[in-house]
Amino acid sequence: MHGLDRALRFVLPLGILALLATVLLVGWFAQPDRYAQGLSVPQPIPYSHALHAGTLKIPCLHCHSGANRSRMAGVPAVSLCMNCHQVTRTDRPAIQRLAELQRTGQPLVWNRVHAMPDHVYFDHGPHVAAGVACQTCHGEVQTMSQVSLRMSMRMGNCLGCHRDPKAALPKDSPIRKGPEHCNACHR
Amino acid sequence: MDLNPLDPTPRQWRSLEERAGLCDEQGEFPADACEAPRPGVSRRNFLQLMGASAALAATVACDRKGVPLVPYTRRPTEVVPGVSNLYASTFSEAGRAYPVLVRTREGRPIHVSGHDLGGKAPLRATADLLGLYDPDRLRGPLADGKAIAWDKAMERLGQECRSGKPLLLVTGASASPTRLHLLRELTQALPGLDLLVSEGLPKAPEDLRAWKPRLDQVQVMLSLGADFLTGDDPGLIEAYAKRREPGEAMLRLWVAEGPMSLTGANADHRLLLRPSRVAAFATALGAALREGPGAEPAPPEVDARLWKALVQELRAAGPRALVLCGAVLPEAAHRAVHALNRQLGTLGLVFEPEGKPSGLVPAQALVRLEAGHYGGVIFWGCNPLYASSEAGRWKKALARVPFRCWMGLREDETSAVCSLLLPEHHWLEAWGDHAAPGGHLALQQPVVGALYDTRQGEDVLLALLRGLGKASSPDYLTYLKERWRREVQVSGASVPFDRYFEAALHDGLVKVASPIHPPQSPDRSFPAPGPVPAGFELLLEPDRRVFDGRYGNNGWLQELPEPVSKTVWGNPLMLSLEDARRLSLEDGDLVRMDAGAEHLELPVCIQPGQTPGVLSLALGYGRAHGRVAKGVGFNAFPLLDPSGSGLRLGVELRRLGSRRELPRTQGHHRLAGRDILRIQEAGETAHGNHHAHELPSLYPPQVFGEQRWGMVVDLNRCVGCSTCVLACQSENNIPIVGPEQVARGREMHWLRIDRYYDGDPANPRAAHQPMMCQHCDHAPCENVCPVNATNHSPDGLNQMVYNRCVGTRYCANNCPYKVRRFNFLEFNNAKKEPELLAHNPEVTVRPRGVMEKCTFCIQRIQDARVRAKLEKRPLKDGDITPACVAACPAGAIVFGDLKDPHSRVVHLAEDPRGYKVLEELGVRPAITYLAALRNPLRGGKS
Repeated sequence: MHGLDRALRFVLPLGILALLATVLLVGWFAQPDRYAQGLSVPQPIPYSHALHAGTLKIPCLHCHSGANRSRMAGVPAVSLCMNCHQVTRTDRPAIQRLAELQRTGQPLVWNRVHAMPDHVYFDHGPHVAAGVACQTCHGEVQTMSQVSLRMSMRMGNCLGCHRDPKAALPKDSPIRKGPEHCNACHR
Repeated sequence: MDLNPLDPTPRQWRSLEERAGLCDEQGEFPADACEAPRPGVSRRNFLQLMGASAALAATVACDRKGVPLVPYTRRPTEVVPGVSNLYASTFSEAGRAYPVLVRTREGRPIHVSGHDLGGKAPLRATADLLGLYDPDRLRGPLADGKAIAWDKAMERLGQECRSGKPLLLVTGASASPTRLHLLRELTQALPGLDLLVSEGLPKAPEDLRAWKPRLDQVQVMLSLGADFLTGDDPGLIEAYAKRREPGEAMLRLWVAEGPMSLTGANADHRLLLRPSRVAAFATALGAALREGPGAEPAPPEVDARLWKALVQELRAAGPRALVLCGAVLPEAAHRAVHALNRQLGTLGLVFEPEGKPSGLVPAQALVRLEAGHYGGVIFWGCNPLYASSEAGRWKKALARVPFRCWMGLREDETSAVCSLLLPEHHWLEAWGDHAAPGGHLALQQPVVGALYDTRQGEDVLLALLRGLGKASSPDYLTYLKERWRREVQVSGASVPFDRYFEAALHDGLVKVASPIHPPQSPDRSFPAPGPVPAGFELLLEPDRRVFDGRYGNNGWLQELPEPVSKTVWGNPLMLSLEDARRLSLEDGDLVRMDAGAEHLELPVCIQPGQTPGVLSLALGYGRAHGRVAKGVGFNAFPLLDPSGSGLRLGVELRRLGSRRELPRTQGHHRLAGRDILRIQEAGETAHGNHHAHELPSLYPPQVFGEQRWGMVVDLNRCVGCSTCVLACQSENNIPIVGPEQVARGREMHWLRIDRYYDGDPANPRAAHQPMMCQHCDHAPCENVCPVNATNHSPDGLNQMVYNRCVGTRYCANNCPYKVRRFNFLEFNNAKKEPELLAHNPEVTVRPRGVMEKCTFCIQRIQDARVRAKLEKRPLKDGDITPACVAACPAGAIVFGDLKDPHSRVVHLAEDPRGYKVLEELGVRPAITYLAALRNPLRGGKS
């Protein structure tokens, strides 16, 4: 076979394929975690939302108390956990660790599941005020023993809801649309 | 008869080159825009450029994987993560106190602004936030250059104090009554202790310093070299702006001065007067007022018609006239001006004495030091080895003192000769109280825990007292509260003290007015000024940015343009056009200046409006310490006259032949010869104020949602003090670029103050105009962006989306106002830990290659909008105050909704003085400017 012919028949398609595969693979592995639906990260304490929010029916805002007054929903301070766990389940190693942190003042470092890029200024406040349920973006957290990402954190998902928020809002909500201009989230 | 001696040349100009039609300064498009910085490592590298590697790291940083989420272990009750808190505190400087409001996020201060009760914050209070995060701060006690523990350091200090040897405690001036009380107790406990207050700047004589101007009844004001509009006293700018409202009662400002000051730039009539002639001028004015106009001949340098008009004006105004004297002028000038004010019976002065500890005078202390009288010296918050005309004598005298201790923030010229260094808290970390203007007592509270292993100076002294068994308070807060309980709260008050103190902390100040009667001091006779020696007169004034050098390490202040000359990063020698021509000097030429035994070699800057024969130079530069301050400018303290005034006579000047480029923002972004800044004469109908014919547009009109944001800038109120520029920089994370980059036109300020001259360059009229993004409806920048990174929002904002921007710079080139700023280099991501903390977390930190510009403080708009939503109410007028609006002491900037017919901004935009800059281009800006007014005498009216 002629050298050029072989190059055109095999080397070129294989080369293109290899290049494509490289681009796709690098793209796949380099994509941010926030795109990965189902992402679940091990946490320092085996805290279960299924137990606290599901079985015990503690309202979300009890612990994430910033959600209706701040941009950030906030993660509860160790001292808030210890309000109950001073007396509850004090025999568990995880609870003993919490008590130890409370005593020493050391921080409890969680691993972030829902991450936003630095140039996005998402605000929980107006969403909670409009009656959007936490589950709309965070999934059925009350059934998860370990939190996982249910909605990929992409701008498309934000805009989808902002363009047609009906499904996410209470029935009688007067809101027809969310803001779509850049400054609503980027500044 | 037109009494206005100003050349009626209508054309405005921004630099002498522009006026002459020369264009050797860089034009609209900066040269070597894509060049990397010059090789070689400079001291200020930390402000600059890390190059591509950091840029690459930054782009990846948008999506870091595995960002930890760290909650509080015990959350402080008042902190909600993501919500900022405001605390009232007090900024103090050289014995003056200003109540301020500090905004903190998650416990760290991010912005300092004014206060509803205490007035606006001065420029340097806002800027000194950076001082808290200064990486040069001393982080723990040092003994002979080695780190030691506080216990050991205190033990050593205690030993020295108990040894019975005479000690000298040198402090900076302070208006704190509790600190004064502590110092008194200390001097009682240590009989060998002498106190000395060391402030090296020239000041008015002590008995006259307590007379403060009050403008509410003043009709005619004459400033003899007093630059009272610099922003040092925001209350005075506020009062001045109020008295300049158009109408019959508008105040008229006369200025007679040597250098071209900011106040001179705002004058209705400006006379050129050598500083050495101020006393004679005031005396002649006094005689003319007694004898009637015409009896006293005009001083030789003053136009006879103007002199007559001035005398008539002052006579007519009587007690409603006020004459002010420049603080740095010799005592004779102050006495003459005071006598003149008494003669007028002016209502424009109030008596507000400053508290000060009784102590030695510097001359006595130095003599004793030189005689070897003291066994130890403690310096506390002062720097006499730099900021004093006798720095050399101090240095020699200190060699005879065995124990030298220093307390302060960062190492300086004085700490370099001390063996025991005790690092102090920054004012944002410390407690205190201060006597504030208007009979108030202002409280200073810490808004952040100590960042380093530092202690408050008062706590150190209190520990000394405890060691002597003379005090029981465990810390300064307890000491302060005890004094307040005893002396401040009215005895027998029904409110418990703790609640009283809580309320005072909340408000930041309490009224403790005890009426003070001015002493009936007769006019003191003063020596008639001697003959003026030949040569130049040199006027040395504190710099309005770095003050006496104490803020030299603050990049924000170093890069803030001087409001008249627009120079940054240094103190060139200002000289007049005539002298420059005579000595064939140009901007940036190096000269050798000889004053007595001292000399300096420095570049000159030609200043239109400078009196011939007068040189002026700012104090506070040429520091030997600090990574930012070191080597910027020239130290002028050794040139100060030994008598303590800022005027030096008989100065010689010689051209050296070499040059040094002056970094200045003046010629950048010039707006070639159009009708940009309008000045009208008061009372004149707005004849020139034509509204450009609304051009038809090919673009569809903008459709607005609920709001349309807009702004009104009243140029008549704006004095050009530049406080807004600094507030904008602090609020919006605007980087510092350094002098080399400013020289290439790469300064990053989103809001700049343009200064225009018009008329005769020997004494031109000058005016200032704040210029920022105009948020045009038909914005030329939006049409040319290839990636739609800048576009229009439904509320009328020209939005800039950094994450979309690819840096083509088409938008900046197409912007007629030249307000877009490009990150040519990595200015921000090179910063490290302590400096990073000064960033506002609500604003994106822009990396290299991204365009940016004024956003009308979108973060504040969004915050107010969300708050209104959460409170289920519509947005009210006044809910949103952008940083510049909040900072402006004159109230010149008003922001609001142009669709709300009742908003202040709509009301003001309809003023007949209103116009839009470059209206003829049809870009439909959202900012309306109100023409500046000047109130000169006109023929027949007087």
